[in-house]
Amino acid sequence: MEIVEHLLDISGIGRNRMQLRWVSSAEGQLFADYITQFSEQTKELGPFDPEQFKLPLTAIEQTLSSPRIRWLIGMTRELTEIENVYHEKLEEKDYKRLLKQATEEEYHKAMIVEVLRKGPHSVHEMAKKIGLPIYTVSLRLNELEKHGQAELTGYDGSTPKFIGLAT
Amino acid sequence: MPDMKDEDIRIGVFICHCGSNIAGYLDMEELSEYAEKLPHVTLVQRNLYSCSEAGISEIKKGIMEHDLNRVIVASCTPRTHEPLFRSSCAEAGLNPFLFEMVNIRDQCSWVHMQEREDGTNKAKDQIRMGVAKAALLEPQEPIMSDVQIRALIIGGGISGMTAALSLANRGYEVVLVEKENKLGGMLNRVNKLGPTMTDASDLVDGKILEVTEHPHITLFTSAKVNAAQGFIGKYQIDIETESGIKKIDFGVILIATGASVYTPEGLYGYDGQRIITQLEMERLFKKGLDPGIKNIVMIQCVGSRNEDRPYCSRICCQTAVKNAILVKDQIPEAKVSILYRDMQMYGVENEEMFRDSRAKGIRYINYDPARPPEVESNHVRVYHALLGREMSLSADLVVLSTPLIAHEDATEISQILRVPIDENGFFLEGHVKLRPLDFATDGIFLCGSAHFPANIREAVAQGLGAASRASIPLSQGSVVVEPIISFLANEDACIACGLCVALCPYGALEIQKTAKGEKVHVIDVACKGCGCCAAACPQNALDINHFRDRQIFAAIEAGGAGAR
Amino acid sequence: MNKQFKPKILSFLCNWCAYAAADSAGVSRLQYPPATRVIRTMCSARVDPVYIVKGLESGFDSVFVGG
Repeated sequence: MEIVEHLLDISGIGRNRMQLRWVSSAEGQLFADYITQFSEQTKELGPFDPEQFKLPLTAIEQTLSSPRIRWLIGMTRELTEIENVYHEKLEEKDYKRLLKQATEEEYHKAMIVEVLRKGPHSVHEMAKKIGLPIYTVSLRLNELEKHGQAELTGYDGSTPKFIGLAT
Repeated sequence: MPDMKDEDIRIGVFICHCGSNIAGYLDMEELSEYAEKLPHVTLVQRNLYSCSEAGISEIKKGIMEHDLNRVIVASCTPRTHEPLFRSSCAEAGLNPFLFEMVNIRDQCSWVHMQEREDGTNKAKDQIRMGVAKAALLEPQEPIMSDVQIRALIIGGGISGMTAALSLANRGYEVVLVEKENKLGGMLNRVNKLGPTMTDASDLVDGKILEVTEHPHITLFTSAKVNAAQGFIGKYQIDIETESGIKKIDFGVILIATGASVYTPEGLYGYDGQRIITQLEMERLFKKGLDPGIKNIVMIQCVGSRNEDRPYCSRICCQTAVKNAILVKDQIPEAKVSILYRDMQMYGVENEEMFRDSRAKGIRYINYDPARPPEVESNHVRVYHALLGREMSLSADLVVLSTPLIAHEDATEISQILRVPIDENGFFLEGHVKLRPLDFATDGIFLCGSAHFPANIREAVAQGLGAASRASIPLSQGSVVVEPIISFLANEDACIACGLCVALCPYGALEIQKTAKGEKVHVIDVACKGCGCCAAACPQNALDINHFRDRQIFAAIEAGGAGAR
Repeated sequence: MNKQFKPKILSFLCNWCAYAAADSAGVSRLQYPPATRVIRTMCSARVDPVYIVKGLESGFDSVFVGG
């Protein structure tokens, strides 16, 4: 869920659009308080317009469905609490950093794939649509190319254009 | 079942007024008019009370006359009424899992009493979401599984022995595992039992003899459970005995591992000689009390009800009063004082014993935990909280009432059997009131002080109770499991990565060789349907019956659709 | 901010914990804003992170998960 929060943050939607709370069966009052509070919070945030965040939402969904991220999330305990055969384990903060980084990468890639679905784009055009530095886009694009998820389709003048490949 | 064609889906929506509990706060007319317009809905009916005999027969009539193949009741909470409505559906020939309940009372009319319009809108949305999910429901069949007719009891104290005898006397085979070399547990170290003042040894020796000679009980002393696998009906257990590891299958398991007495190292000058615990006092009694002892001070709540151990151990007050009376009976001129915070003397017999002790001249002095008593060389200084002054009491012997604490083995056993322990290390029951002797995991039960400090009477009662609970699957010979479980919805997608196996809190998943290579397999009877595996599956190969991804997606989308 | 705005919150509630708590809030007649739309799950672990995104995509203003 931390990852969902992180993704909501980097997409600009904001983590305060979701809330995770533990309530035991006897705590009716606590439940009512949480809902009252969260309802106020949502009110302050104002209506959420899914159209405005269509691209990020699709990308987040892709990211959260990607085997890489699901594995990492699922393996949290194995990786940070239980040792591997060499009696090594990851420090929690290292693990979190790794997970965050992987999530961001997957998220950026998902955005690129989404954008490319609409037709050929140059790196510059993609960067503009996604709102990322050109350098980051070309790095991720490179990875997508390696995995056969994107390729060079031609040139517009001297500007290379890329398309996505169905996987 | 092959996917039903859209036009074949016929949903009946029954909206309950619950007298005025719902109808008094929501616009029922509007709700039913709204429900009629929802896709697939062929019948909408309002009932005064859907759960009444009249309501139920209307639902059944609706199913038969309108050929409904999905039923929704919008009323109270599924937590109380789903079983009833499901069985009504079954009686009318509809698979009970084609039923969906929508909560418009506990989570709607009752909590939005002043907001008729918004409350009605919320109910509409919930009904729309229910209809969307119902359209995608699938029939389910109950799952049956055989039970190995043999019970494992871990712990040979009074509770475990009682449970063992109770089961064995019903003709079931019992294996009793005790880690000491002798049965009896804590009772072996106790002198007399209050309030009747009978010898503990009479009770315990009698039980030991019965257990040892019982033809249906196999006894392993100096033994422990090493490893466990399986689920209700078929637990495969490794028992480490003096003659090696025994691998035995069991249908049910009872945990009766008891508790330990806290040793108050560093508290009140505890030395085990002149300053001792109540348990050491029991030993003094057994040896014969030194008639020279004239002054005894007992201090209650030593090492309990503090930050480290916030709980009240419940039985130490009874023990102190009992031992104080025994001192008085043996040395009538002795002065016995009990320094207490609050006296925990629940139950008719204990209250009587308490009154009796006062009549015998035992003194009770209330102390304030902020100003605890001080033990000095031959007396105890205490600030009498009720009188508001300092007192000095002579003391030949100081007896500290220390709590029962969770057994050091409890953590290991909880890990081996995958059952929970609470913040104090005691085993945690499935539900305080509804399943007090069961664990959340089916087929494992608990009794005695393993759960929480219990006196003999409670330990015996719980032993009998747990045996009775455990005898249900044993007598049935098979168990029926709710089919709301995980299943491999997309076999091709599964790559046997094993993530779900590692994550499952119930050990309900395993990797198996199949014609298509290694795939995950769900052990139906062990699965609780929590959905953790499906939510985590990197390949989205697993899904949960009755809570399938697509059913939930449908509900989400339906809920969001009318958002504004 | 628009005063008429009535937020819609998608809630996933665990049958044994938060859903039961919500029922008990009802039994005690505790009043709270009618903003939530509840989906019951047998355990909060059932809530795939994707559900949260779906909720926002479908038009909910926020998502609450009660375990």
